[in-house]
Amino acid sequence: MSEKGLQATRGFYRNYIKKYYEDAHRTKAEKRPVAWVTSTFPVETLLAMDIVPVWPENYASVCAAKQASVELCERAEREGFSRDLCSYSRCVLGSMFGEKEDLPEGGLPKPDFLVTTTCACDTHLKWFQVSSRLYKAPLFLLDVPYNISGADSKNLEKAHVEFYVSQLEELFSFLEKQTDQKLDTKRLRETLELSNRTSELWMEIQNYRRTIPCPMDARDAFSAVFFMLCIPGTQMAVDFYTGLCDEVKERAKNSVGVIENEEYRLIWDNLPLWFNLKIFEYLNSLDAVVVTETFSHVWAGSLDSSRPMESLARKYLPNIANSSVQRKIDMILSLAEDFSVNGIVLPTNWGCRMMSIGETIVRDVVYKKLGVQSLIIDVDSSDWRNYNEAQVKDRFETFLETLR
Amino acid sequence: MVVMEVLQWFRNSLSNKHEIAIGWKRQGKRVIGWTCTYTPEEVIYAAEALPVMVLGDLSGTKLADAYLPSNSCSFARSCFNAALRGDYDYLDGFVESNSCDNRGKIFDLWKHYSKIPKIYFINTPHTNTEKAHEFFYQEVARFKQWLENTFGSPISDESLKKAIEVYNENRLLLKKVYDLRRKNPPLISGVEVFEISLSSTVTAKEEHNKLLNRLLNKVSNRSDRPKEGVRLLLTGSVMDNAELIKIIEAVGGCVVADDWCTGSRYFWNFVDLRGDPLRAIARRYLDKVPSSFMYHHEERFRHVADMAKRFDVEAVIIFVLKFCDTQMFDAPLLRDELKALDLPVLYLEWEHSISGMAGLKTRIEAFIEMVGGVK
Repeated sequence: MSEKGLQATRGFYRNYIKKYYEDAHRTKAEKRPVAWVTSTFPVETLLAMDIVPVWPENYASVCAAKQASVELCERAEREGFSRDLCSYSRCVLGSMFGEKEDLPEGGLPKPDFLVTTTCACDTHLKWFQVSSRLYKAPLFLLDVPYNISGADSKNLEKAHVEFYVSQLEELFSFLEKQTDQKLDTKRLRETLELSNRTSELWMEIQNYRRTIPCPMDARDAFSAVFFMLCIPGTQMAVDFYTGLCDEVKERAKNSVGVIENEEYRLIWDNLPLWFNLKIFEYLNSLDAVVVTETFSHVWAGSLDSSRPMESLARKYLPNIANSSVQRKIDMILSLAEDFSVNGIVLPTNWGCRMMSIGETIVRDVVYKKLGVQSLIIDVDSSDWRNYNEAQVKDRFETFLETLR
Repeated sequence: MVVMEVLQWFRNSLSNKHEIAIGWKRQGKRVIGWTCTYTPEEVIYAAEALPVMVLGDLSGTKLADAYLPSNSCSFARSCFNAALRGDYDYLDGFVESNSCDNRGKIFDLWKHYSKIPKIYFINTPHTNTEKAHEFFYQEVARFKQWLENTFGSPISDESLKKAIEVYNENRLLLKKVYDLRRKNPPLISGVEVFEISLSSTVTAKEEHNKLLNRLLNKVSNRSDRPKEGVRLLLTGSVMDNAELIKIIEAVGGCVVADDWCTGSRYFWNFVDLRGDPLRAIARRYLDKVPSSFMYHHEERFRHVADMAKRFDVEAVIIFVLKFCDTQMFDAPLLRDELKALDLPVLYLEWEHSISGMAGLKTRIEAFIEMVGGVK
């Protein structure tokens, strides 16, 4: 039996994303603190202090899905920002220049302050430096050592964890100063526990996708990951995933798959084409289903609320973006086996060095170890000006044929 | 030696850099390659090895293209290509750093596909707070230990102090050479200065110092001075070849100052000779004129403004290597700061290749004409 989208994610944009931005604007209007934040930043710290995190990266993906990102990118380019920069950053910078009236979600609320980290990329730091200057709002940087050995969270270098933890202490002083309130350690503990619950549920959902046929597609995963990535330490995240988990579990139990004839089970690396999520349906039409994504496996983590600072360091520091390629290879090797995968899609991202360099090593090593083939496609997550749909479809078809 | 011959020595040491390194090895010494100017070279020097900056060339990157996507830094690609071609097979060791996303990720490729026997990675913070200093000091100490263990020779405080002296002398002399361009017309051309400062990254510093002293003693008598031209400052990521400066100086420009990794940012700051030498070395690197990946990038903008004043600059060209994210983000901000100082600015993105440069010639020419015409 097959059924496409899930009930829980139906109307996801309208019910959750749109509402999230409306709430953020309301928070700003009520003069409560709003902070801009980037992925791999330990967002639980903000949530524990009732600071509303606003995610420019998420905003860019929303603009792309609404086909509005290119026009905004062009605005940033007219101000002198190179077309080769990260399209997320160009899109959001573009939204800061010029007319505000027609912006998706009414634009982003201005930040009272910004927090970022070097954990994922240089772009986060540089993009937020520019934003901080434009909005004259203070910027806090969490300077994270590069996990060169590719260690997992248990085996990180002591010096790396210590440097990270020492900066978390500074971060809380910064947040306390910005919000004029003290950190409530009980509240922090609760947030970490909610974050753990979010992670557990999210991973349980992912594990049901190992089932043949796979009960949940990439399109649903790339929507639903919002809670895991952006607001993991909230009751809202736990509630949403509880419902989603029940549904996916039920589908798995009853062998309800995304497609009927599941000939190709694929892993999708990096980001989707936010402006063209229909590409996953196209894959379905070729009897292929994306059964898991690396992106769905890099945000969950287990936090020890008796050692909050250290466990935040251990959760975020070994993100694959901040690690030697070996860590990504290890992840893909185990996903390929656990999810009975027979092909891997490695989309690069034009403005992103982290997602583009090293994919050849992934392809070569995974093939050598498991005999599973990969397809590297050069695309951009949010800027479609160089995107050639016919060519991409053609490459998918040829790739799938070689997997036969 | 007349001035011409001294200048020729610098030029030759660039074109013969591999032969020089191999000659060094014949004397039983080691050669260690590095790529980022945050590498504490003094420690390598103190280990009695020759530190050389790994450089690419403009001849194309066919070999590296098989591994690197087209949206990665073409300079880093060119360096990796040279390694794949075997140009750097003589290296006893190679040191990389996470000073930008391109480098951090390309390290994986060096590890997988190059033949260099020993490679090492230094974690470079992006801040220079006291905590970052302590972290970086530990990293530099670990690097020292790695050199000692890998090559079996201990590095004493005495040899570190000696290295600091030699390196500081080099920095001082290079600054004096730069100052030869404060005059109008300058005593030395942009191409000549470029060859001098870049050759410092691939030759033994003591030898380099000797030649710098010789040059400084004789240069005031030179008869073949450069012509007067539009006084320019060039800023950007890294520059490993004189081609762009040749283009500029052929169309009426006169390069009198720079801000890039292989120019002033390489040597502008000294190591403090007081106190523990290893700590002093580590501190110098995090506190130097920052590259664009650092949190305190505004200090770099200040450096550019200071240089523009010191060298009586009339206009600035921002040369950004394609896919150098940190520079691309800085460029519009730097442009605005310089315009506020009434300095005309030309922004150019360039691909590290001969054709990538030739395409810029017309715009450079028009810009220099425009600035020159205003005079």
